[in-house]
Amino acid sequence: MDLKEALMTENAYMAGEYDVAVVGAGHAGCEAAHAAAKLGLKTVLFTLYLDSIANLPCNPSVGGTAKGQLVREIDALGGIMGKVADICAIQTRMLNRSKGPAVYSPRAQMDRNRYSAVMKATLEKLPGLHIRQAHVTELLTQKNGDLVNVCGVMTESHAVYSARAVVICSGTYMEARTIRGEVICESGPDGLPRSVGLSKSLRDLDIPILRFKTGTPVRVNAGSIDFSQMTRQDGETDIPPFSFDHEMNGYKVPQEQIPCWSVWTTPLTREVISQNMSRSPLYSGVITGIGPRYCPSIEDKFMKFSDKDRHQIFIEPMGKETSEMYLQGFSTSLPEEVQVKMVRSLPGLSEAVIQRSAYAIEYDLVDPLSLLPSLESKIVGGLFTAGQINGSSGYEEAAAQGIIAGINASMKIKGRDPVIIDRAGGYIGVLIDDLVTKGTNEPYRMMTSRAEYRLFLRQDNADMRLTPVGYEAGLIDGERYAKFTSKQEAIEAEKERLKNTFVGPSEELIRILDEAGQEPPKSGVSLEALLRRPRVTYEALSPVDKDRKPLSDDVIAAVSTDIKYEGYLKLEKEKIKEFSKLEKKLLPPDISYASIEGLRLEARSKLDAVKPLNLGQASRISGVSPADISVLTVYLEMRKRRQGDGN
Amino acid sequence: MSSFCACSTPAGKAGICVIRISGDGLGDILDPMFRIIRSAGDHKKYSQMPGYVCAYSGFVDPKTGDRIDDVIVTRFLPPHSYTGDEMAEISCHGGEAVKKEILRVLYEAGIAPALPGEFTKTAYINGKLDIAEAEAVMDTINAESKRALDAAGTLRMGKLSRELQEIENDLYSDLSLIEMMVEFPEHDDTPENSDKVMEGCSKAASRLKLLAGSYAKGRLLKERMQVALLGRPNSGKSTLFNFFAGYDRAIVTDIPGTTRDSVEIDIEVDGIPVTVTDTAGIRQTDDKVEACGVQRALNIASAADLCFVLIDPDEEASEASERIKTTIEARDHKRTAIVFTKSDIGINPARDAITGAEEIFRECRVIEVSAATKENTESLFAEIRDCYESLSADLTGGIIIMSERHRSLLQSASDKLTEACNAVGSGLGEDIASSVIRSALEDIGKITGKSVSAELADTIFGKFCIGK
Repeated sequence: MDLKEALMTENAYMAGEYDVAVVGAGHAGCEAAHAAAKLGLKTVLFTLYLDSIANLPCNPSVGGTAKGQLVREIDALGGIMGKVADICAIQTRMLNRSKGPAVYSPRAQMDRNRYSAVMKATLEKLPGLHIRQAHVTELLTQKNGDLVNVCGVMTESHAVYSARAVVICSGTYMEARTIRGEVICESGPDGLPRSVGLSKSLRDLDIPILRFKTGTPVRVNAGSIDFSQMTRQDGETDIPPFSFDHEMNGYKVPQEQIPCWSVWTTPLTREVISQNMSRSPLYSGVITGIGPRYCPSIEDKFMKFSDKDRHQIFIEPMGKETSEMYLQGFSTSLPEEVQVKMVRSLPGLSEAVIQRSAYAIEYDLVDPLSLLPSLESKIVGGLFTAGQINGSSGYEEAAAQGIIAGINASMKIKGRDPVIIDRAGGYIGVLIDDLVTKGTNEPYRMMTSRAEYRLFLRQDNADMRLTPVGYEAGLIDGERYAKFTSKQEAIEAEKERLKNTFVGPSEELIRILDEAGQEPPKSGVSLEALLRRPRVTYEALSPVDKDRKPLSDDVIAAVSTDIKYEGYLKLEKEKIKEFSKLEKKLLPPDISYASIEGLRLEARSKLDAVKPLNLGQASRISGVSPADISVLTVYLEMRKRRQGDGN
Repeated sequence: MSSFCACSTPAGKAGICVIRISGDGLGDILDPMFRIIRSAGDHKKYSQMPGYVCAYSGFVDPKTGDRIDDVIVTRFLPPHSYTGDEMAEISCHGGEAVKKEILRVLYEAGIAPALPGEFTKTAYINGKLDIAEAEAVMDTINAESKRALDAAGTLRMGKLSRELQEIENDLYSDLSLIEMMVEFPEHDDTPENSDKVMEGCSKAASRLKLLAGSYAKGRLLKERMQVALLGRPNSGKSTLFNFFAGYDRAIVTDIPGTTRDSVEIDIEVDGIPVTVTDTAGIRQTDDKVEACGVQRALNIASAADLCFVLIDPDEEASEASERIKTTIEARDHKRTAIVFTKSDIGINPARDAITGAEEIFRECRVIEVSAATKENTESLFAEIRDCYESLSADLTGGIIIMSERHRSLLQSASDKLTEACNAVGSGLGEDIASSVIRSALEDIGKITGKSVSAELADTIFGKFCIGK
């Protein structure tokens, strides 16, 4: 249906003309709308329910392993998630502190209601952005020869909005249904209304639709919990905030924090579950959507890891002004009455008062193989999708795609090249490349082990990697960029100073090294060489480093990591160089793979389906072999020469 | 752009041998190796030479300063070279020993052994081949991708492949333990995982090291075992050489110094391909031609896999033991045997004094032999066999690595795993350990074909002979 046809439907009216329409105001939608509006485009953001903008319907936390890195990257690009999360944090931690800086992962517990309110207030103040509660049911498109392009959206009430680009961030809402045992509700998460019709509208355009499931645990009233039977877990206050902007301005994470708690399941938990397995919709066949392996329901854990007789459960606060507590690791789709028995089998929860039930949720999504690395659809021009609609899972994964979709919708309208972050540029690049190149058959969660260049893709250097990209795109303003530049200069200057400052083998130095379990040096040695030694910290060297000027923590951390990891980073950079070679060999979009002699049949069809942008992406498609890549290399070269001859 | 090198002339004996090097920025790498004697334009450094001129130059090992050979080096500048990158061609004296030494020095300087077809592939990528040639390459690839499938199938069945897959699987499970700790830190309830990983890594490291070590045998099977006969003039070298040859090839006379240059013969000992080299007799000399031969004899003796030091009945004890000592040291304790010759006319009366002169002589087998009557000559063959067997431990299934590329990948993987253990031990994080293990797996994957990288595409070009 195009604009004209839409306006001819019953009660239809023209409700607004926009550059960019964003459907869905979850984490992806908020970032997309924020980016588009910041880039100067007239933007409208639709939500099914205004008070649940940027809702955290599952765990009340932002960050974690690989996810914390994503939040830092989003912020480095000029996104908004990190800033809101900093403001709403009630407990902060740096995970993996003992396992090396490459896997340090910031995580913060959020005040859930506040998160939603702060995000809403921030977006409301943004010039050029309109927020509208409405149920979008139809994507409007027009044909342009063989090409189909978006031209707007229509809502349930037949309000017609024109738009030059549309970003759909429907989360788990499209044709959603929630399941608790035998009880099935046609509802979105948290009992919110679901999206109906949009999925069909996409299907009618020949966009491939899949169906996934995920789930969330119960919420319990803190007043009914006996915390004395639980292990207390406090936050850490000496860590940087998510936002580099905040960090450079001296912002500190909240010093007063709320604890989390942990318990182990009991033999009774196991018994209750095994007695009621027949009522699980997963095992009875009610749920057909594919769920995530890494975040299994508690009944799944007991079934699949039968050698483990107990599992750890975390009890997390949902905010300052609520007594609701979230039971991480206890998601289930068993019936409500069984849920009560399960929860009460846990230590400290025998009197638990449940405030919300656990449920599984099924939803429609778009097969990400139908997307370009810019997150634009290969089928409908100007249509972008981001977040769970692309098969990912998690707030941070959604926001990461949201900012890229928002930027690229804007770039398309401005007639500029899309911003594509490659696998060596950030977790964002790994995430999007995996989705659009390999597709996914379960909700995709970011993990640090998915990144080939993990030593380089650290949370502490996300700004070094991506702030120039954000600046180039126009999301980072000159003032912030100047601060960023002087931070980078400070890092380089300090590294240079440490390299060129030599200290003699004084008693003081011997003591410092002894404390780190290190042999004393035989002669004068540079501070750089000392810092490279295991367990010797920048701080510890202060007594022998007389000329040291005070530096901020972020600069010190960057200097230490760069020096300690230098050898390993160098090797990784070599690999990145090799990787970039194939990424730079572009594959023209008009290649007909079916007709390339020498490609195996499987490769022909896979390449035709994915239409990779370059040889690197082609090499990562499952079913495309190294031999196929060689054939493509030769084909490209010959094609180039033939064209050269013709000119 | 990484650089690579290979010998472009066929294996075996020839008057000269040409080693080709391709890669950008060769000047800095090669400068320390050349001591230019004469060059067009009188340039003293390789890097100062303009393209398409050659220089007569000494080739030295920059680490030791030892002069390996006198060579002719020719410089080619991009884009006008075979590969389109900067290239150097070194013409050195023929013979395995010199060639191997030069290649060793190049490898140690970070110039990789060329993969099969790498020169042609680079030429292709740099647009040095015309369209007809490019199409020929395409045809080969089409044929090759089918053949590669068959080859991969064979590799899958192979013993080496099975062994490597086992190691890979073990490493992947170690890696998954680390990743588990990293991805789900809050569920990290198994602190002993770190120890398990270290144990697994060091086990895999030693298995890989053994595999890599088997190349010592594999190399000999491919390139022939080099056995050098060393002794003073008229010590019976040529007689022994002729015994090996089974016919009169060397000029055998009783005038000392007849064999001015070395001669080689290929024989087979229990399936081991062997090249026996009769070197020039070692003694102080003013004869210019002979002096050159003597130097060459020392070089050959020190590069050989096995050296027979010949002592005739008339040699002075002190002179003999001095020569044995020099040889052992020059050979860096590689296997050396002391051979008392002419046992038919009576062995050297100072036999025990000679063999007992130095502690280090104990490592040498002592053989008494008469080439004329063939008395005890089977001991020489036994020594050759034992030398071969001692090169590496026997692996289950008799796996022997036959390619230098495999050896360097396996060795590198093994080194990386040892490093991963050290990283964990020295307080570096799991992040480093994981990165290093991955890198080791990538090395192994380049043999088993599990890692999909640009390099693997190069196997296609393996159709083209190395260095061509």
